[in-house]
Amino acid sequence: MKYQDLFMFPVEWLREVDRTIAETVSDWADQEVMSGRLEHKEDREALLEPAIRKLFVDIGLQGMVWPEEAGGAGLGTPEAAVTLVAVLEQIGRADTGIGFLFANTFAVHSTFGIEPHVNRALTGSLAPTYCEGGEPALASLILPGYGSLDGGKVPGFSGLTCQVRAASGGGGWVLTGERVRPQCSGVDASLFGAVCEGEEGETLFVLVPGSAEGLARSEPFKKTGLAASLNADLDFEDVNVPEENLVFAGTERLRSALCFYYLGCSATCVGSLMAAYEILKEWSETRVIKGKGQVFKENPLVAALLGEVGARIGISRILVYNLARMLAEAGAYGSGPSIFATATAVFKEVTGNAVGVINNAMELMGSAGYATEWNLERYWRDVKTIQNTVVPETAARVDMARHYFGCQTL
Amino acid sequence: MRTIDDFTRPVEYLSPLDRSLGEIIRNWADREVIPYRREFDEDWEAHRLIEPAFRRLLGELGIQRLLFPEEVGGWGLGHSDYLGTGAYRMFEEIARADSGMAVAFGVVFWPLLMICMEPHVNWRLCREFAPSFCGTNEPMFCANAMTEPQGGADIENMDLLGGRTLQTTAVLDGDQWVINGHKLWPTNSGGVADLFGVVCTTNPGSSDPEDFAFIFVPADTPGVTQGGAYQKAGMAADKNSDIWFEDVRVPSWYRACGPGDDFKYFKEVISFGSMGSTAFVGGALMNVFEILKDFCETRTFRGKPLKENDDIAGILADFARDIDIIRVAGYQCARMLDRPDLYGERWSEEMVVKSRAYKYFAADKALEHLQLVMNLMGAHGSDRVNDVEKHWRDIKIVQLWMGGKQLCQMEVARWFYECETL
Repeated sequence: MKYQDLFMFPVEWLREVDRTIAETVSDWADQEVMSGRLEHKEDREALLEPAIRKLFVDIGLQGMVWPEEAGGAGLGTPEAAVTLVAVLEQIGRADTGIGFLFANTFAVHSTFGIEPHVNRALTGSLAPTYCEGGEPALASLILPGYGSLDGGKVPGFSGLTCQVRAASGGGGWVLTGERVRPQCSGVDASLFGAVCEGEEGETLFVLVPGSAEGLARSEPFKKTGLAASLNADLDFEDVNVPEENLVFAGTERLRSALCFYYLGCSATCVGSLMAAYEILKEWSETRVIKGKGQVFKENPLVAALLGEVGARIGISRILVYNLARMLAEAGAYGSGPSIFATATAVFKEVTGNAVGVINNAMELMGSAGYATEWNLERYWRDVKTIQNTVVPETAARVDMARHYFGCQTL
Repeated sequence: MRTIDDFTRPVEYLSPLDRSLGEIIRNWADREVIPYRREFDEDWEAHRLIEPAFRRLLGELGIQRLLFPEEVGGWGLGHSDYLGTGAYRMFEEIARADSGMAVAFGVVFWPLLMICMEPHVNWRLCREFAPSFCGTNEPMFCANAMTEPQGGADIENMDLLGGRTLQTTAVLDGDQWVINGHKLWPTNSGGVADLFGVVCTTNPGSSDPEDFAFIFVPADTPGVTQGGAYQKAGMAADKNSDIWFEDVRVPSWYRACGPGDDFKYFKEVISFGSMGSTAFVGGALMNVFEILKDFCETRTFRGKPLKENDDIAGILADFARDIDIIRVAGYQCARMLDRPDLYGERWSEEMVVKSRAYKYFAADKALEHLQLVMNLMGAHGSDRVNDVEKHWRDIKIVQLWMGGKQLCQMEVARWFYECETL
């Protein structure tokens, strides 16, 4: 039995196309990443960039939601949520950072490329880049975050403050913002999907080409994990974008987009959990303790922790596939506050499980868990960075409390 | 304005030198370490930035003399009632800046405990080694070579295994020990240490305490080979590598204490190691408190500073609570080591167990809190420029070393519940 089959999930929700793409990506993971990482570790030039190119361009994942007639994979329907999970499990298994890049790219594309919100003008204008271009074209979300005392910004979405302001002008939108932190790829994203504060305090989602005039990128900053993401802060100095780059206004569709984003990040973490499981399983079968020849996994204390590890991985996988199903079957589950609260809860639970499980795995492996040679510690750093980056814990809890308990003043 | 000095310190345990020693270390850390520590991860192999800071602390400030008796040019802290609490203060202050430097510093003295501490001072070895440490301004390092490839933490599981898994052998050939074996992971290996304390057996497979040997080996002794440093998730200032001993010959008097006594007093080394680990955790948390306080005063949520949000305040409160508790517990451990007349011998099973309990409590709690703190800081929690993630990575290995959590749990359960088959 393949180890991944140990962690059961509702297999009947996978379509044939999902299995096919997942197998292709699984082969990519083994051939393009896993086989080279002992030698290259997290080297971008030697390992990660070629792997990203193969995945995004050669396999064509960056055109996933575009119609086939435009050169895409034709997966521009809500059922793509399940495809997303099947694919990101494999990507996350290989490299969490590449998974995070794809989760961002898909989330941005989902805002204009997934039924019932397909925007033909935007899919048409961006098709050459994502379906015909020979280069990886990363996309990143720019989400609200904490404000600052000297910023003078009013909280908007979920108590968080939009980093970018959008005003009408120049025949379209004029965007301003200082030290704006994208979710990923501040250095090399081709496209940003920015949540902006409008002139009347409304929430706007605007696409910003990476080459837009007035968009300045800082030097890349160092971070805990996600080596595949070269991130940098941005300055928006009166960046002018066309009117049609406004994808939507209001928070309802923003929450829908965030559902796909939280799903993608959670699925990536499930992949990382699978990788951690593989490493820990090998360790637990080949080490002995107490000098008695007791195989590590046969020790009761160790086994108790291994049991917890297995359970948390299994639960995480089930949660992610269930969320995907809910997004795929919007007719049955809706697209409003309930699904957003559920997506937030799943994200919180799965990333918490990912950090906790890999923590436990490192405990059991001792110094080997901490050494780069064993490949485990990078997953620990990566999933923790995802957990921190996507949404501040406090804002997530407020979102859930508002939905589940009807809080009125938070 | 509240600072890290507002956390509780048990003043009646402190040495008369505590304040001045603490200030010296803190000033050194603020000037020589904190401005450079963000580059340490990339400096893990060369130690181009790390080495000058140690030179200043150990050599130029002379701290490396502190354990040797005054009669041989040292500061005599091994004979005082304040080694534990004094060390705790120093470890905390250094770890506030960088835990890797703190452990590398602590291990300078770790093997020397076997020969510098009353009632088992080895005067011959003190006189032989002291000039290297006390007569120079060059930094001198030691390493405690105990872990082996097949054994992991078994060697430290002394009461259960009695050293029977040891495969590094010491054979007496005339007036020389001949040592053969392979060690992994000692702090200050990879070419750093000048002197090793090597855990050996004089009778492979034996669990007789008489056969457990602790023998000093100068790093440049023929037959000693060290591998390249391991790359790790953090703790860049702590170099770890393989060490091979092939027919290494040292004088017979390089054995620290002798048959039976090596086994007995090595447990003191374990107790001090656990105490030091608690101090490293506490020091790192102090710095995270400093960083977090500033962050929560200047960032806003719902228009107010983060610290004014009740939910966030709850997280901050739990964090501050446990920093204070870790400090109190850590100083209590240090006090117990300083006053064996009150608390029992430093090498007793009780002392080993309790020091391990404090260590794994501190490390577990620290990691729980750091995970929440990083979440609280959002995307900035993972930025290296904020230094919080660095402490998270560094404290993880404190949790893992010296046998890790599971060994600590077994020893604690065995002692408190009188388990017989664990």
